[in-house]
Amino acid sequence: MKTRLWTLYRTLLNNHYGFSAAKFYYIKKRQRTWEPLVIVAGLTPAVVMGIVFIWNLTEQLFIGGLAFGQPHLALLNGALLVSLAGLFFGFFSVLSAFYFSTDLEVLLPLPLKSWEILTAKFAVVLTGQYAINLLILLPLWLRYGLLAGVGLGYIVSAVVVFLALPVVPLVLASILAVLLMRLVNISRHKDRLALVGGFLLVIVLVGFQFWLQSSLGGDDPELVMEQLLGRADGIIKAAGRVFPPSVWAAQAMAYAHTWQGWLNLLYVAALSALALFLLYLLGEKVFLQGLLAGLEGSRGTGRARQVELAEERARAPLMTVASLEWKLFVRDPGFALNGLIGYVLLPAMALLPLFGQKLQNNPFELLALDQLHPLVVAGGLALYFLFMTGMSMIPATTFSREGRYLWIIRSLPLDIEQIIGAKVLGSQGVNTIGCLVGIIPVAYLMGWGVGEVVLGAVLGVLLASALAGFLVLFDLRKPMLDWVNPLKAVKSNLNALVGMILGLAFGFALGFLLYGNVQTGTLWLIPLELLAAALALGALVRVLIRRWAPQLWARI
Amino acid sequence: MLKLEGVTKRYKGASVNAVDNLHLEVRPGEIFGFLGPNGAGKTTTIKMVVGLLAADRGKIVVNGRDLAADPLGAKRSIGFVPDNPNLYPRLTGLEYLNLIGDVYGVDGATRKRRLDYYLQMFELTSAVGDLIQSYSRGMQQKLALTGALLHQPPLFILDEPMVGLDPRSAHLFKRVMQEHVNQGNTVFFSTHILEVAENLCHRVGIINKGQLIACGTMDELRQASGQAGSNLEKLFLELTDAGGIDED
Repeated sequence: MKTRLWTLYRTLLNNHYGFSAAKFYYIKKRQRTWEPLVIVAGLTPAVVMGIVFIWNLTEQLFIGGLAFGQPHLALLNGALLVSLAGLFFGFFSVLSAFYFSTDLEVLLPLPLKSWEILTAKFAVVLTGQYAINLLILLPLWLRYGLLAGVGLGYIVSAVVVFLALPVVPLVLASILAVLLMRLVNISRHKDRLALVGGFLLVIVLVGFQFWLQSSLGGDDPELVMEQLLGRADGIIKAAGRVFPPSVWAAQAMAYAHTWQGWLNLLYVAALSALALFLLYLLGEKVFLQGLLAGLEGSRGTGRARQVELAEERARAPLMTVASLEWKLFVRDPGFALNGLIGYVLLPAMALLPLFGQKLQNNPFELLALDQLHPLVVAGGLALYFLFMTGMSMIPATTFSREGRYLWIIRSLPLDIEQIIGAKVLGSQGVNTIGCLVGIIPVAYLMGWGVGEVVLGAVLGVLLASALAGFLVLFDLRKPMLDWVNPLKAVKSNLNALVGMILGLAFGFALGFLLYGNVQTGTLWLIPLELLAAALALGALVRVLIRRWAPQLWARI
Repeated sequence: MLKLEGVTKRYKGASVNAVDNLHLEVRPGEIFGFLGPNGAGKTTTIKMVVGLLAADRGKIVVNGRDLAADPLGAKRSIGFVPDNPNLYPRLTGLEYLNLIGDVYGVDGATRKRRLDYYLQMFELTSAVGDLIQSYSRGMQQKLALTGALLHQPPLFILDEPMVGLDPRSAHLFKRVMQEHVNQGNTVFFSTHILEVAENLCHRVGIINKGQLIACGTMDELRQASGQAGSNLEKLFLELTDAGGIDED
C-alpha cells in the first residue's frame, strides 16, 4: 500500500512538474537546452533580491522585537506569512488538482482507494508549497539563527516546523475545496457554482483580514504598533487570532532549548498529524462522491434545443473566436478563479481601509479626501487597465489554455493575425468588464466624475489592448500545451509570469511619467502621453505580429 | 482534389522520416482509403494536409490550391475529423457547431437545415445544448463529424473514423461518406479496418515506414501483386511485411 501511494505520488509529481519531459528534451534529445538557462537567469535576480530583502527584514525585526522583549517576532511573521499564503493560494491549487484535472478519469478506474488519490494529489500540491516556503523561510531562519546564536535544538525544531507548518493550511484549504465541490456537484451548473463559491471564500478571507485589522486598532498605526509590541504578549495574541499554529511554530523554534519549546513543537506536529488524519477521512467519506457527481453527464431536453437551433444566426468569425476566448476562460473554474480574482480583490483591498475609517458614519469626509485632478484619475485608471491585463493572465496564456484542443482552431481557415485579433478582443472584453466592475464602486465612493472614468477607460483599453497583443504573440512563441491540470496552464506558465512583469513594468514606467507631469504641472499632457504610448506600442506589436506570428503559428 | 508531391516530414530529433517523399493523388468524387501499420505515417500525412503540421519538403495541393501558398483557401475546401476528437469540453455542442459555421461562413438558414439533418441522423438533437464534457466518445465523434460537414467541404478527411464507434454509428459514418461522394465531393480517410476499406473505397493507398508502397483499386492491387483471389487483408499483410507494389 505504501509503495502504491509512493508510486502514485511520484508519477503525479513527475507529470505535474514535467520532470520526465525535461529530462527527455534537455538531456536525452539535447533540444531547447537554452530554456532552463534562460529561466534560471530570469528568475535568479528576483530570487536573490527577495532573499536579501528577507535577510534584512529579519535583522530589523529581530532588533525591533528585542526592544519589546520579543526577539522572535521575525520567526512569527515568517510562519504567519507562509501559513496564510498557503491557505489562500492552496485553495485554488487543491480545487484544481482534486476536481478539474483531466487525469482523474485515468486514476479513478485504477484499483486505488479514494484517499490514496486525494493524498497523492495533496502531496503534489504540498511539495510545491515546500519549495516556495523554503525560499522564504530558509534565509529568515538562517539570519535569525545567526543573530540569536542558536544551537542544535533550533535546527531540529526548524526541520519539524518546516515539514509540519504548511500541512494545516493546505488541509484547511482542501476541506473547503472538497466541501464546496460536494455541495456544487449536485447541481447541473457546477462550474458556475464552483466559481461563485470560490469568489465568496476569497471575500470571506478578505473580510476576516479586515475584521482582524479593525480589531487591532483600525486605521491608527500607532495604536496597532502599541497593541502589537507594547505588551509582552501583544504580538502573540494578535498572531494567535489569525493562525495559532504559527505562534506554536515560532515559540517552538525560539525556545528550542526549553521544555516550553518542545511542547510547542509537539503541538505543531500533533496538529499536522491530526490534519492529515482529517484529510484521510475526507478522502474516504466525501471526496469520491463529489468527484463522481462531477464526472456525471447531464442531458438537456430535446424540445428546448430545437427552439435554440431555430434562432441561431451567423456571426463574423472574429466575433465568434473572440467570444470563444472568454467563454473558455470564464467557464473553467481553474482559469477563472485565478485570472478573475484580482478584479475583485484589488478594488476590495482599496475600499476596505476606507470602510475602516467609519465611512458609513461620515461619507462626506471621505469624499472630501478627493484631492486628485481628474486627469490624474484618468491616467491612474488607464494604468490600472494596463496592469490588470498582465495580472489576469488571460492574453499571456491564451494558446497555452487551449492545450490539446488547439487542433480545432489550427485546422480552421483562419489567418493567425485574425486569431490574434480575436484573442485580444476576447481578453480585453473580460479585462474591460473586470476593471469596470471594480472601478465603478470606487469611483462612486471617491466622487470621481463620469468624464475622467470614461477617459481613463478608453485610454486603458487602448494601452491594455496593445500589451495584450504582445502577450498573445509571446504565448504563441512557446505555448504550454501539455497539461492535465488546467491550473498548470496559467500558474506554472512562464508566459503568465512574463505577462505580469510586463504589465507591472509598463505600469511603473508610465506611472513615473505621470508623476513627472504632476511635479511639473503639465497635467494636460497625461492623456496625450498615454495615447501616444498606446499607439506606439500598438504599432510596434502589429509589426512584430506580422513579422513573427505566421512562422510561430506554423512551428507549433 | 488532393495532390501530394514529394511530401517529406521528419520530427525534431528523429533519425528517420515520418513521411518520406510521398506522392499521392486523390481524384474528385472518390472515396480513398489510406492504410498502413501503426506508425507508418498516416496521421502525420493527414495532419500535414489539414495544416496541423508543416511539411519539410514537397507540395500539397487541395482543390487546386497550394497549401503552403494559400493555406486558408486550401483549408476552406476541407472538413476534418481527427482520430481523437478533443472538443472544447466547456462549450455546448451547439456553440461548437456555431463556431465552425461562423468561421466557414455558413449562413443561418443553411446552417439550420444542415444541423437539423445531421443532428437528427446522429441522434444528437436532444444533447446539442449540453456541455461537450457530458458527451460520450461516440457522441463527440458524431459532433465533430457534423461540424466537419457543416460547410459541405469538397474534400472530407477523416483519421481513423471507426475507432470507438458502435455498429449503428459506424454504419451512419459509412453512409455519410457515401452520401458526400454522391454529391460530387471527395472522401479521404485512414483506417485499420480493412473490411471497411475494401467495401467502401474506390481506391486505397498503403503507406509503410513513411513511403507509399501501393496505390490503386482492389483489382489493380491484386493484379500488381499477382494474387488474383486475394482480399485486402492478405495483400496488406504481404505488402507491409516486405517490398511493395508500384502505383497503377
